[in-house]
Amino acid sequence: MLKKSMFVLLAFLLVSGVFVPAALAEEPIKITVLNYFDLTSPGAEREINEVWYEFSVRNPHIIVEREDLFLEAFHQKTEAYAAADRLPDVIYMWPGGRSTSLHTLGLVKDLRPLLGDDAKYYQEAVLAPQAAGYLAELPQTMTSSHALYVNLALLDSLGLSMPETYEDLVAIVPVLKENGLDTILMGAQDDWVIQSCLFSMIVGRLVGDEKLNQILAGEAKFTDPEFVGALEFYAQMYEDGVLHRKIMNTNYAEVNGLFATGRAPFMIDGDWKVSNFLTDPTTGEALIPVERQDEFMMTIFPAIPGEITKASSSGVVGVGFGMNAKIEAGSAKEAAAWELIKWLQGPEVQKLRLETAGTIPSRVDVTSDQLEPLVIERIRYYEDILTTTEVLDNIFEGDVYTPINIGLQEIGLGFATPMEVAERTQEAFDAWFARQ
Amino acid sequence: MNKVTQWWTEERRAYLLLVLPAVAVYWAVMAFPAVFSFVLSLTNYNGGVIFNNPNIRLVGFTHYLRMFNDRFFWISLKNNLLIMAVSVFGQIPLGFLFAYVIHRKLVKFGDFFQTIIYLPCVISTIVVGRLWQSFFSPYGPFTKFMQTLSPGWENELFIDPQLAILPVLFVILWMYTGTYMIIFLANLQKIDPALIEAARIDGATEWQVLIRIMLPALSGVIVTACILAISGSLKSFDLLYAMTAGNPARRTSVLALYMYDTAFRHSPNYPLANAISVFMVLVSFLLIVMVKLTEMKFGGREE
Repeated sequence: MLKKSMFVLLAFLLVSGVFVPAALAEEPIKITVLNYFDLTSPGAEREINEVWYEFSVRNPHIIVEREDLFLEAFHQKTEAYAAADRLPDVIYMWPGGRSTSLHTLGLVKDLRPLLGDDAKYYQEAVLAPQAAGYLAELPQTMTSSHALYVNLALLDSLGLSMPETYEDLVAIVPVLKENGLDTILMGAQDDWVIQSCLFSMIVGRLVGDEKLNQILAGEAKFTDPEFVGALEFYAQMYEDGVLHRKIMNTNYAEVNGLFATGRAPFMIDGDWKVSNFLTDPTTGEALIPVERQDEFMMTIFPAIPGEITKASSSGVVGVGFGMNAKIEAGSAKEAAAWELIKWLQGPEVQKLRLETAGTIPSRVDVTSDQLEPLVIERIRYYEDILTTTEVLDNIFEGDVYTPINIGLQEIGLGFATPMEVAERTQEAFDAWFARQ
Repeated sequence: MNKVTQWWTEERRAYLLLVLPAVAVYWAVMAFPAVFSFVLSLTNYNGGVIFNNPNIRLVGFTHYLRMFNDRFFWISLKNNLLIMAVSVFGQIPLGFLFAYVIHRKLVKFGDFFQTIIYLPCVISTIVVGRLWQSFFSPYGPFTKFMQTLSPGWENELFIDPQLAILPVLFVILWMYTGTYMIIFLANLQKIDPALIEAARIDGATEWQVLIRIMLPALSGVIVTACILAISGSLKSFDLLYAMTAGNPARRTSVLALYMYDTAFRHSPNYPLANAISVFMVLVSFLLIVMVKLTEMKFGGREE
């Protein structure tokens, strides 16, 4: 009897020892990720450790194979993956713009069903349908594509005050010139910068979203007086000396140092630019040290003559991560990919991004007491915006906004008139519209 | 059967054994992509699966027509031709001149100059591009230097459409001349010194040595250098991408950048991008044939 009992016990221990843990252990799941990541940015090391490494620690059964790319290299790889039909499982994307083809070709899933009740943790605006009418990526932030950065100390040193209207801004141009300074800096060598960071705001103020939507529906034209008027105002900025055409020979990264060292009292860029001025936790250095950050402010462009939308800025819901549409619904891989996306927009990660990059959280449950003055300023800056209008490259396809991007540079250089750019854009739109 | 046996000789088998792997590799990585690119350029392919895609259909030469009607195509082509001119008529003569001067020991410290002239070739093109972009920037050292000479001078180099490409051409000349210098230097060393010595004893001047001995002896190398320069010019991409990204307003674009913009930026148009690449291959082929014909007429006296 004892022998028999011992045999049963041993057999049980053997089975439970060998088979049960094996059954309980989760099968490793490999998730490929294409990540947009500037390894030189302040906080890059924290992101690697506290976002990606931490996820692996918490989810040992999910093996993340990450590919980090930045700027054009990222977009090129994305398009190459899309063309080859080999999109990674999880991909960093925009709500439109350069990621439009991922949306419109249905290469990524609608995340809304996966989000379920967790939607309550996000601001309602960020969950709005994106370029193809569904939630293709879970945004990590709201983004204002236009911000006027102001060096208050420099203005004070010249005895100037913050201009409230465009006329006020024009009035201080001669003073700045006398002092060997530029008025507004922009790193606009790449042709998207003027359209995204300046002209979309002008269109919002002078044309308005209603008219833009009429153009999109084919019920109005780019050659209508409102849009041409916006282009003419932009051209006027060069004539008034508010903009200088050398902005088109200034590299996007070069402008950071120029602004931080007081080459001009103003700079126009997206609100994301603020992260370039923050302290790098690995070196403790910053382009604008914490003790000087109070000398700078963020606001929106002064009132424009004839504007129909007051105190507006152009903006979109921010970037985030989407999921490859080919992943089988209800599969373990989908669960793993969703786990990663949830983590990447979770409270811990959003808090980290708020602290290191000043990224405004898309969640309602994220805050921090370790914010640099410029991050606090970025949060305050949103109080200056009464209305958020569309960014052109977010609502129009590349075929349509490319002539605008190039045309804005051509106007600045004197190669084209506002009407010529409007006509070329309308021609491109008509061709695109006919294909729909 | 007898005929087959006669054809299938050991020599022929060895020949095929040696040649076929190279042919297979060439077909796989060169010929097939080129042919495939041509086929794609005739379709309406718009991403996704290529094979067994029911939505793909032939559209003829539509994309070629669109390419020829695009003003940026002509701007890019013009810039490519300028780069080619600088390469063929700038880099090669300068490379030869430097090689000649160093080989004939017409200057002291020949090794030092050889290293200095060749150095840009070993630096990453992207680094070189960013470096010169900063140098020529409106806020860069070049502007500052010019402003010390002429206070108030504004740097319009990249802004004037006629001048925008000039800094790029200068950097291309600076960067690649060393490659041709090394090619010429290596081949100059193969010329029998006794031949030059005999010419000098017979009273030939340095100029006559150069024209009558050196240049004819190097005609084949010059043709090779021209082919390298032409093909290199047509595929120029990285330096321009780093320096100007084709801007302002695409005025410094070249065909490769134009193709890249078409394929990977804003709204990808793969057939049009393939049409551009096919055009580049054809132009390259045509120019190389022209160089070979020129060499057959005027060169080939190195023996």
